[in-house]
Amino acid sequence: MLLECHNLNFTYPQTETIVINNLSFSMADSGFKAVFGPSGVGKTSLAKLIANGINSFTGKIKTHGLSTILYSYNLERLPGWASIGNHLSKVTPEGRDGLKTDLIGIFKLEDLMGSRFSQLSMGQQNRINLIRYLLQDFDLLIMDESLANVDEKLRQDIILAIKTLFNDKMFLYISHNLREVSKFCSDILVFSDPKGHKGYSMVKGQDCKSKQDLDKEKLDQTILEIMNAF
Amino acid sequence: MLFRRIYQFLIVYCVGILFLLMIKYAFSLSNYVIPGIGGIIEIAGQVAPTYIYDVFNTLSVTILGQLISIIMAFTVGIAGRKSSWIGSFIKVTAYNIQAYPIVALAPIIFILLGDGFLSRLLIASMICYFPLLLSVLGVMAAPVRDIEHFYIVTGRMRWQLEVKIRAFENLSKLVTVIAGSATLAMAGTIVAEFIAADAGIGYGIRIALYQSDLAKIFVALFLIGIVISIYQGMLETIGENIKSKWSISKGDMLL
Repeated sequence: MLLECHNLNFTYPQTETIVINNLSFSMADSGFKAVFGPSGVGKTSLAKLIANGINSFTGKIKTHGLSTILYSYNLERLPGWASIGNHLSKVTPEGRDGLKTDLIGIFKLEDLMGSRFSQLSMGQQNRINLIRYLLQDFDLLIMDESLANVDEKLRQDIILAIKTLFNDKMFLYISHNLREVSKFCSDILVFSDPKGHKGYSMVKGQDCKSKQDLDKEKLDQTILEIMNAF
Repeated sequence: MLFRRIYQFLIVYCVGILFLLMIKYAFSLSNYVIPGIGGIIEIAGQVAPTYIYDVFNTLSVTILGQLISIIMAFTVGIAGRKSSWIGSFIKVTAYNIQAYPIVALAPIIFILLGDGFLSRLLIASMICYFPLLLSVLGVMAAPVRDIEHFYIVTGRMRWQLEVKIRAFENLSKLVTVIAGSATLAMAGTIVAEFIAADAGIGYGIRIALYQSDLAKIFVALFLIGIVISIYQGMLETIGENIKSKWSISKGDMLL
């Protein structure tokens, strides 16, 4: 699988605000990839362009082996008229009940299945939202701050579990957590601060697949590289 | 909710009567122009049974008219929620027609249908239909992106689900609009009765007006106010019950 962007340009409709300026990059194979950068530099816009949510752009986006692309974000909500367990059952495709049970356990949401979405904390809301996406058919899942407000330890467990359970899928992880993207992602597209005029850079991450699988020196090196590109 | 509506009306009614009595005594007006408290109570004893029957007659037309307009507003509102040409056409038509005073069309309705039940019903439903339609259109045409996104990108979105999501997210607004439209429906029915009907409290007011009997009009206004307050209070209570049952079941605990 391959995700390629060539000379991508995007301006907010009916304004002259350039959001993405001549962006080219490529990401290959399954696993966790990241988009990293300060707020307002166009990370979400890029995600929406890739997921066909916006059509008014110039340049080319090529997706080989990525026929189903889903975009999830952290402000999504589930309808409030039924429990989250009920909603989850309704959107679980046939034959994936086992996966659903596993994910509920990994995401530590077993005790909350009878609750309404509005009764959950923000971290719990983001976790249940991510589960329903993971249960769908997809080749590329864009996770735009999908684990925001989740504590660091649980976030690490969740990312490692996703890497194991969905090792044939590609994930594009948008996050503001520098250490996390450096540690778990293989390719990190860094959007620099527009005032710095550094543009876009691609940095290789550590792509950890287990808790033990970490060279701290290399991780510090990656973090430094991203900071320099920032 | 119900009792608050009733005592709010009683306060307004009493203030209105006191104001008129102040004018009466300040300018030494006769009982023929503004009757005294004793006169109002005496007339109330005489006409109350007839007027109570008339008010309930009007209320029955009001409820039926409002029900018809709610069904019509939701049907058209749901059909017009899309940004397709038909949706835009429905919205533009609704906005233009609602700007026209429906009461001005009443003579045409009376000429075509006579002064019976159907005319009252039609005017009542038309008067509360357009404000309802605009609110329903507003609710149904506004996407709830945070909820709908998942169903759209996974191909699960159906029109029934879309309507359910938008109605649920705007339940308070819809309940308020429906409860508020009860006053419009009642006003429409009374206006229709006042113009050319042969039954209902509006017809009673017209006769009292010809007799220049302000005491009868005070009694009629009191009964109309009490009945519409109870009806609106009941609608709001039903709305609150639906909201609480739909959003959080009793067994759920807040986390």
